Amino acid sequence: MNPKKPLLYPLTGMLVALTLILSACGGSVATATEAPAVEATSAPTEAPAATSAPTEAPVAEVTSSLAVLDWAGYDAEDFWVDFKNAYPEVTVSFEIGISDADIYAKMAAGNQADVFHPYTGWLQFYVDEGLVEEIDTSKLTNWDKVPEHFKQIGQFNGKQYFLPWDWGFSSVLYRTDKIPEGVDSWAALTDPKYAGHISMWDDGPAAVTVSSYIHGYDETAITVDQLAAIQAEWIAQRDSNLFYWAGEPELVEGMTSGDVWAGYAWQGAYATLLANGVPVEYANPKEGRNSWVGLYGIRKGTENLDLALKFLDAKLAEATGNNVVNLFYYGHSNQDVMNGITDETLKEAFSIDDPGVLETTNFTPNLTAEQRDAWTAMWAEVKAAP
Amino acid sequence: MDRRATFWILYLPPLLWLGAFFLIPLLLMFAYSFRPNMSGDFFQLWQPSLNQYTKLISTGSFWRLLGVSSLMALAIAIFAVVLSYPIAYFLAFQGRQRAGFYLVLLLVPFWTSYLLRVMAWKIMLGTEGVINSFLMYINLIQEPLTALLYNRNAVVLTLVYVWIPFATLPILAALQRIDLSLFEAAADLGARPIHQFLRITLPLSLPGVFAAFFMVFIPTVGEYVTPLLVGGSRGSMYGNIIQDFFTKAANWPFGSAMSMVMLAGTLILVAIATRLVNLRDLLE
Repeated sequence: MNPKKPLLYPLTGMLVALTLILSACGGSVATATEAPAVEATSAPTEAPAATSAPTEAPVAEVTSSLAVLDWAGYDAEDFWVDFKNAYPEVTVSFEIGISDADIYAKMAAGNQADVFHPYTGWLQFYVDEGLVEEIDTSKLTNWDKVPEHFKQIGQFNGKQYFLPWDWGFSSVLYRTDKIPEGVDSWAALTDPKYAGHISMWDDGPAAVTVSSYIHGYDETAITVDQLAAIQAEWIAQRDSNLFYWAGEPELVEGMTSGDVWAGYAWQGAYATLLANGVPVEYANPKEGRNSWVGLYGIRKGTENLDLALKFLDAKLAEATGNNVVNLFYYGHSNQDVMNGITDETLKEAFSIDDPGVLETTNFTPNLTAEQRDAWTAMWAEVKAAP
Repeated sequence: MDRRATFWILYLPPLLWLGAFFLIPLLLMFAYSFRPNMSGDFFQLWQPSLNQYTKLISTGSFWRLLGVSSLMALAIAIFAVVLSYPIAYFLAFQGRQRAGFYLVLLLVPFWTSYLLRVMAWKIMLGTEGVINSFLMYINLIQEPLTALLYNRNAVVLTLVYVWIPFATLPILAALQRIDLSLFEAAADLGARPIHQFLRITLPLSLPGVFAAFFMVFIPTVGEYVTPLLVGGSRGSMYGNIIQDFFTKAANWPFGSAMSMVMLAGTLILVAIATRLVNLRDLLE
């Protein structure tokens, strides 16, 4: 009889169990990185009501809860600080979506969030599927601070369904030390000259957009042949592409280390790298930059309609807007916030001193369900190609 | 308390758990794979359609990727088993009183997050990583090797590393079950160590080896986290594409159909494999 057996057996069993538990925890990394739901603690003190809040009730005493389906990071209190101050007794809980598709699929599957945060391109489906409530803008005290062209982005069939909130550019971001000749076209992302040092965003519709700019296709009417050409273009591009980035930090890390010379990027990455002293430039491609807007919608049928409207109104308020600009380097739909920017890095990031930049910007058009399915399937085939 | 009551008290919680969180979602996914598209409410009745399956069948690259992913899983499972066998052997026969301690050492990395361990491999393999820095330091290379990271080899390497401790455990358990008097008898009859290993140790440990193999192979076919982090543009596995259809395409019906095909494929492969190696005989 082996004397070590009785010792080792229970130990092994214990360790196996432990390891399986731990690996199970590790296996859920995709969701584990999501921020935990924020439980707003009820502050016992009577916080003063924000001046922008309606005065019919002592707002600080409103107790209720509000569920928000948002992107990771936006659950931080910085991005709803005005609401928090006005309604300290309200519990705001966040659920995190990892992409527009994820948020849409969740809402379509019956998610009970009162408020959700889609971006341009992904708005039409919510209206078509009856998932979004019309916004009564007369109840928004900050609405007049939003420029008309932003308001229009949230309008469908003559009704305001979405409240524009954050916005930014997409363009080619590049290392000036690695590409001293500069980048003047989106075609840099498919240029074999930079083979092994390009990073494209992991997104089918974005790939279609980039190809459309390069070849002058009408993005809203991509034909079957054009889509096939786009697929071939991105399959060929894989030889030059180091990795597809899914989250902005991956791109920032790749560009900081010098592995990535040129990448599809939002200006948040540009501002981060500038602030870190990495030599980068945000291209003004001859085809024009792309620009996007994030909007908030209210779920149709929510029982918290009034509170949701107050949440949206507070989202437009200045302290919240300043945090979006200063912490995320994204634009805010409240024009007063944008007019108040003095920081040079931020001015640079938004090209605030370049009045021509918006005229040469291409706004992201809304996808149809067919385009969504076809373009995302195209991208999956690019990634699966031999 | 009678035996029946004890039985149900013990088995009901896990059964309910598996039913609610595994079986029902799986059945929902099966039903969803016959949905024509995402339009409409989640629980509304839909006209069953084979749309997703016909689309999947006509997309050659997805089939090919399923094959590639299975081959990768096969390679990873073989590497992991071959590399963990000596470890298990050492723990079972050479570790003596310290065997428990060594086992703990083997499992210590699992006290850190899976994500962290994969990230550590990025630091090892990157252009400014440990391997490249060392090779450049000793002047063996002038430019960093870019072939180490962001490809399928990096995925295989990382996953083999991840699985070795898991694969060790069932092999260890099988080795520990071997009656040591068999070795004495073999030695008395003049068998040399190599013959003892080939005629006694290896055959008797095979159940553990196959258990380890399947424990690695089955989950690896659908793996997606590691390829996402170290696979680069060309390292995607079938699981990544499934994930994309759920999270990047808002196309749950197609993702469900892909999942069902993978499930069926894995079950068929395992069925064939168990027939080939006659697992039942081995276990008996």
